Amino acid sequence: MKLNERSVAHYATCDTPPDKTGFLFKKGERNTAYHRRWFILKGNMLFYFEERDSREPIGVIVLEGCTVELCESAEEFAFAIKFDCAKARVYKMAAENHAAMESWVKALSRASFDYMRLVVKELERQLEEIQEAAGGQQGRPKPSRRNQIARPKSGASLSSSSLSSLSSSSSTPSMTALFSAQKGLQDEVQLFPGSSRENGVAWSKPAAALANGFTEGGARAPPVPPRRIGASLETPVSPGTGCFSKLHEWYGREVMEVREQWLQSQ
Amino acid sequence: MRFNERELVSLSRQPSELAAELGMRGPKKGDVVKKRLVKLVVNFLFYFRTDEEEPVGALLLEQCRVEKEDSQTFSIAFLDEAERKYVFECDNEEHCKKWIDSINKASYEFMRRNLIYYRTEIHRLTGKDPLEQYGISDETRFQVSNGQQLKARDTSSL
Repeated sequence: MKLNERSVAHYATCDTPPDKTGFLFKKGERNTAYHRRWFILKGNMLFYFEERDSREPIGVIVLEGCTVELCESAEEFAFAIKFDCAKARVYKMAAENHAAMESWVKALSRASFDYMRLVVKELERQLEEIQEAAGGQQGRPKPSRRNQIARPKSGASLSSSSLSSLSSSSSTPSMTALFSAQKGLQDEVQLFPGSSRENGVAWSKPAAALANGFTEGGARAPPVPPRRIGASLETPVSPGTGCFSKLHEWYGREVMEVREQWLQSQ
Repeated sequence: MRFNERELVSLSRQPSELAAELGMRGPKKGDVVKKRLVKLVVNFLFYFRTDEEEPVGALLLEQCRVEKEDSQTFSIAFLDEAERKYVFECDNEEHCKKWIDSINKASYEFMRRNLIYYRTEIHRLTGKDPLEQYGISDETRFQVSNGQQLKARDTSSL
């Protein structure tokens, strides 16, 4: 099966911040020795490099649909990434210490697109509730994706100042933080409040490296992530995604089990 | 670059956001339009020959740009090689818009931005970090900015 490998590899090293990086030992496929590799976790993709400063990954593990568990191994701090498909490969890994092992297991368990989607849906729901409860405001507050003039918060005021121009000097610390989160996507952003959006895609500069889904000139809340068909299906491996707290409990349980197993093995 | 093909094929069989038969043209000069069953699953676009079980290929939809080419056609290009475009022909304009919209929303990074927006906004309105109750405030992937954490703060400063 073909894959846009060059672009996938580019995703690994491009300037969006990774979710986790570090050295891990990975068991070879044919060669059963463990090799020390540099790992970069980004989204639902786990890349591995020969060295920390290697420019190209040796490989990538697509983590969607996987489970992560401790495993019996002569290696200390070992865990495995498993998939629920026929003849799936088990990726045996080992961390350098207990804290790293726990941290990686947690990060990898929560790396799926589905999980992220669920968290987003949950927060979107919460925000709607808050906005409805507050009442009395006109429509939904516009997202202040760019720098916002600092103003004192009064009562339950939910309005946000409209953005007329981009000027970094007037930003509050929190808005700068929000802005710098966007910074990972591109270094310069032009905001045209009146610009037209064609099919949700409006490019101010033809040459700009703007990542997909990034809309400009639109002072509006980000759209709802699409509902996944059959998302509430629950299998032993994949938790139902209908109810966030239930799903979260499921993930939390996984991590707790890992912890307990380790404690028992001590 | 190695990748776990078997698991990716398995993923291609999962329920999709959007699936349809489209005319697809590869990015190389001389590539012609071919009829493909195109399926959007999480942040991957799989394409199959009609009636085949295993996809011909997959496109990871991160760091890409989706553009409308004409009323019924859209293209996907990846930021590291922006001149190479995968072109898709739809049945009609509405169909085309739907695909563009769905693909734009299909990236992990897009969702992350949504999350950061909601988290920040909820925090701004309530003074509370909505992720705290789930014990995931410290997860790197949910951070408002690289490495910085959203601490509970006195919102009167906003």
